[in-house]
Amino acid sequence: MLERVFSGGKTEQRVIDNIKKHIRTLGSASDCFKRAIEGQDKNLMYCVSDLEREGDSIRREIISTIYEGAFLPFLRPNICRFVEIVDEAFDVLEDAAHEFDHMYSKLDPDVQEECVKIADINFKMCELLLLAFETLFTREDLREKTLAIRIYEKKIDEIKIDLIDKMRTREVRGFWEGKILSDFISYLTHVSDVIEDASDYLYIINVSLR
Amino acid sequence: MAELIPFIACILIAFGIGSNDTSNALGICIGAGIIKLRKAVLLFGCFVLIGLVLQGQKVMKTVGKDLLEVTPSVLSISLSISALFIILFNWKKLPLSTHQVLIGGLTGSGIASGIDVNVVSLLKIVLSWIISPLTAFFFSFILYKMMEKTLSRLSFFRIERILRILLLISGILIAYNTGANELATVLGPVIYSGLIGKMQSFLLGAFFVFLGSVLLSSRVIETVGKGITALDPYSGFAAQLGAGSCVLLFTFLGMPISTTYCIIGGISGVGMVKGMKTVRMDLIKKMIINWAVAPSIAFISSFILMRIVRYWS
Repeated sequence: MLERVFSGGKTEQRVIDNIKKHIRTLGSASDCFKRAIEGQDKNLMYCVSDLEREGDSIRREIISTIYEGAFLPFLRPNICRFVEIVDEAFDVLEDAAHEFDHMYSKLDPDVQEECVKIADINFKMCELLLLAFETLFTREDLREKTLAIRIYEKKIDEIKIDLIDKMRTREVRGFWEGKILSDFISYLTHVSDVIEDASDYLYIINVSLR
Repeated sequence: MAELIPFIACILIAFGIGSNDTSNALGICIGAGIIKLRKAVLLFGCFVLIGLVLQGQKVMKTVGKDLLEVTPSVLSISLSISALFIILFNWKKLPLSTHQVLIGGLTGSGIASGIDVNVVSLLKIVLSWIISPLTAFFFSFILYKMMEKTLSRLSFFRIERILRILLLISGILIAYNTGANELATVLGPVIYSGLIGKMQSFLLGAFFVFLGSVLLSSRVIETVGKGITALDPYSGFAAQLGAGSCVLLFTFLGMPISTTYCIIGGISGVGMVKGMKTVRMDLIKKMIINWAVAPSIAFISSFILMRIVRYWS
């Protein structure tokens, strides 16, 4: 009993380890996505789906461990919500990967360049999200990390505007080609919004016990 | 046969304390998964007995000896009225302080039977009922401010772990106070009336509190456990420890005071840190009315019942 009280318990540690693993997996999926766009390699894009499935199983394990009784009940919904938001980022990334897979032709070099930039920022945001989560164990300022994530997100918004301007001038052969490309851009730029939501939620978790 | 009445009433009250106060003390810890129900019940029973043996005497003397000379008839009527009110109020889900109905019942039946009530003692008790929630308010206010300056500076997960330990400590303190103050208030008149020996009453009282805890506390705890999902453990701890420390202080002084009212004072103290608007004044008003009405009703009922009994005998 005392060990559980003083050490915080094995279940809590399991949840913490799995949340880190979950964020790292999201980072791996983002990295894989970036490499697939860089090389315009549709086969490489399958790794995103594989990592999304892995992320799903990690999420299920985290939620079930929390329901076993990890953490104070007051914190459980917030931690679960954070994990769900991270999982949402996986889903959006997977949707972007699907759209990429369905594209009729390769991306134009100028569009590709912007997409690679966005994918790279997404990957960096995942790394920052992991660092932000790790500040919950230290006395470091979480605000710095969340602010950096917000700056990255703003950067992606700016790239998105440029990208949409470029897309408007581009000729498409048919409805589906245009729709798939447009959806691909939407999903790709939406990943950063979700990561920003996750970092905001981390901030809420952090202040909830103060 | 008449001697059985205070016994039965006393058992009922002790049983009620066990069924209700386990959740007051350790409900948060059980709901938070810090401790399992079985262990919590055992821990509660142990600390009730420890509190009763180590510090119960002063409160027992105040209620059983200093306030008035307890006769068997006064004991029977006051305990029966108290047990009846406790059951009735619990059934109607209304908050009631065991101390207040007991003191009200004892003074009511005592005056009706012509026994001199020590007015100084009674005033001290009533004064402690007024001061104790205010003290708990002050304690919790200071504690919360201190926590903001110290605990809040630690990392999130460290705070979570420390809160687990602190919640258990404050729960144990409330369990200790239940024995040292609440159960002592019930057993004081029984012991000083000479109905039963000190050690016997300690063991029997603690046993029935434990029995109430084993048999009925799980349902109350289930409600508390579900209810605390949205409870902020940080504020909850400050309020509980502030109230617990306050009850402990008054136990040192030998004053029978209500943990419930102290917790209300504690919660208001924490609310005050967050701003006056967070304190629900309408609820506080209701509590003040209840605070005044409960001992008055117990006083009047015991007075009338004692007069009826004396008239017929």
